[in-house]
Amino acid sequence: MNPPKNNRLALVIGSGAVKCAAALGVWKVLNRAGIKVDLLVGCSGGSLFATTMALGYSVDECIELTQRLWNRSITRKRDTRSFLKALLPQVFKFDERFGMIDDHAMFKNLRAVFGERTFTDTVVPLYLLATDFYTGEPVVLDRGTLVYALRASISVPFIWRPWRIGERFLIDGAVSNPLPVDVAIREGVELILAVGFETPAPRRIKSISRFVFHLNSVMTNNLYRANFAFHNLAHHAEIITVLPDFTQQVSLFDTQHIPYVIQQGEHAMEQQLPYLQRLLGENHSS
Amino acid sequence: MEITTNYQDQVAVVAVEGSIDALTSGDVSAHLAGQISQGYHHMILDLSQVEYMSSAGLRAIMEGLKTSRQAGGDLRLAEPQPGVDKVLRMAGFPSIMKSYSSLAEAAASFKD
Repeated sequence: MNPPKNNRLALVIGSGAVKCAAALGVWKVLNRAGIKVDLLVGCSGGSLFATTMALGYSVDECIELTQRLWNRSITRKRDTRSFLKALLPQVFKFDERFGMIDDHAMFKNLRAVFGERTFTDTVVPLYLLATDFYTGEPVVLDRGTLVYALRASISVPFIWRPWRIGERFLIDGAVSNPLPVDVAIREGVELILAVGFETPAPRRIKSISRFVFHLNSVMTNNLYRANFAFHNLAHHAEIITVLPDFTQQVSLFDTQHIPYVIQQGEHAMEQQLPYLQRLLGENHSS
Repeated sequence: MEITTNYQDQVAVVAVEGSIDALTSGDVSAHLAGQISQGYHHMILDLSQVEYMSSAGLRAIMEGLKTSRQAGGDLRLAEPQPGVDKVLRMAGFPSIMKSYSSLAEAAASFKD
């Protein structure tokens, strides 16, 4: 087993909603140490942070944009039509476009932050993960309008309806690949910082939606571990896991915890920094 | 990183101090393979002094596990520290190999 042959570095940010803000802590440490990332990969909530970083925003700007994007306003309005379709499927013609929350507010926020920018506007190559609703295959999005790719990548099952891009109906990348290190491996990167999170389960199961989310969390977490195991053992790439510890409970929309989450990410990255610097040093000197 | 080995009956206890990563995993692999070639097919990897493990470290353990089992023995883990244990669990190691919270328990497991 040898050190990586090239010094290209990828930052992969897995799914995890607000917890993904820990990637900003990782970003802070890398910036402080003068370490440049050559490729960014995001999945679900991680896509939002990967995109703001890829567009070249500072850490403070990323925090501000996140708070504008991801807050309780995006879950306030239910998708009445979906509820009617669920109650009376024959009458309202139930189909795959089902989501409990109206997505207009979320889409408006995405538009307000990212406008019409495309993948070609990024200063670091960016790859976002979604899942094909019909086949279950992971779909890597790396071209076109960022807002559409983000909307697809964060189509959390049951919450927001799938999003069509071209001929494909896309849902949350976490459904197929919660921590997509393989995207970086496929792009020939041999040194990968993988920031991963387990999906939180509801604190109490007191409704059918929480029951469904609980099962969704169980399945996503098992997939996360299985994929992680496979990619760690099957490839020669060096995967440095950055696993922030959260002693406080951080749920889907706990944006008030963002400073704490960033701090935990920063702390986790600081622990890995000496090793990363050694690896990059070896590659520079070889 | 330092590797020391002592022997309890027919079991090689390989203790690693430091990190098992891309810079050091080759030494760990070679050391485990060396024990097997000397006839020590049962091994314990003492992780009590291992502070960090990357994917290269996981692959080194997997390689040692495969080689020892092919030789009719086993590789077992002892005292992984919380950070290392987290990575091992995420990578599914508890379902394919035995891990013990103390060296004494790991040693006793070979007498069962």
